[in-house]
Amino acid sequence: MNDLILILLVAVITFGSRAVFLVRRRQVPEGLVGRFLEVFPLALFIALATTGLAAPDGYVAVTPALGGAAGGVVGAFATRRSLVGTILIGAAGYWLARMLVG
Amino acid sequence: MFGIAFGVLAIRAGLAPWVTVLSSFIVVSGAAQFAMVGLLAAGPGPVLIATTGLALRHLPMSAKLADLIGERSLPTRLSLAWVLTDETFGLTLRASQAGVPDLAAYKAAADLMLYSAWVGGTAVGAFVGRTIDPAALGIDVLFALLFLGLAAPLLRTRRDWIVVGLAVAAALLAIAVLPEAWQVTGAATVAAFIGTAIRE
Repeated sequence: MNDLILILLVAVITFGSRAVFLVRRRQVPEGLVGRFLEVFPLALFIALATTGLAAPDGYVAVTPALGGAAGGVVGAFATRRSLVGTILIGAAGYWLARMLVG
Repeated sequence: MFGIAFGVLAIRAGLAPWVTVLSSFIVVSGAAQFAMVGLLAAGPGPVLIATTGLALRHLPMSAKLADLIGERSLPTRLSLAWVLTDETFGLTLRASQAGVPDLAAYKAAADLMLYSAWVGGTAVGAFVGRTIDPAALGIDVLFALLFLGLAAPLLRTRRDWIVVGLAVAAALLAIAVLPEAWQVTGAATVAAFIGTAIRE
């Protein structure tokens, strides 16, 4: 698929999900569908973070990225789950691990 | 900063600079765009599944924002939807708790600042990115840390913690047994299905 078409589809999906309740006000689904809507983004974020930090080269290995993971977890707790705090302390952990183990 | 990082990673993944800037111009979602770049080599299927999954979190945000801004014209509501990001939603929610009277105007201002920084940063990264080595600067790790940072505020209940544990375990298993294209979406789907069955 052409990159441009792919980006247009990503834009349509993203904007559609943002606009759906603003175009016409309605209730968020409840029950099983509602619970899936709640937990899927969290599961996806964690899966993306895990593959990026535990297996940056496509296989699980001990790399400085694990220092980033540890720093990110510490940062999340230390800064009351702030996005910026998680990233900054995670990046510090990554650089510390990189200096120590190369 | 994240716009620059996205621009650098996107052109390294093979996107043309102008396509990279266009993506920030029309998608305006760091999570979706970083996931798209990370999964680009895996093909359009995994990209679209991941994008749809990430987009699910906008549904409750959209419903809440509709309540916060009240009756507005359709163009106003659509323009506020355009930049409905985790950051601007969080700011608007805080503003409502602080008693800011015109939340639509407040969010529009926040949107404008975020949008210009995101598109401008992407342009810088896309057009000077060829001279930057992302691995040397650790930019590729920032991508993973962004998702960790986005997950952190979503942790509210015991079920959320179980879903995190399941997603980590499923992702590690998926790395070992699934083709790269389906590792992330496969792991997230399994973790979310099990998590859905857990009642608070």
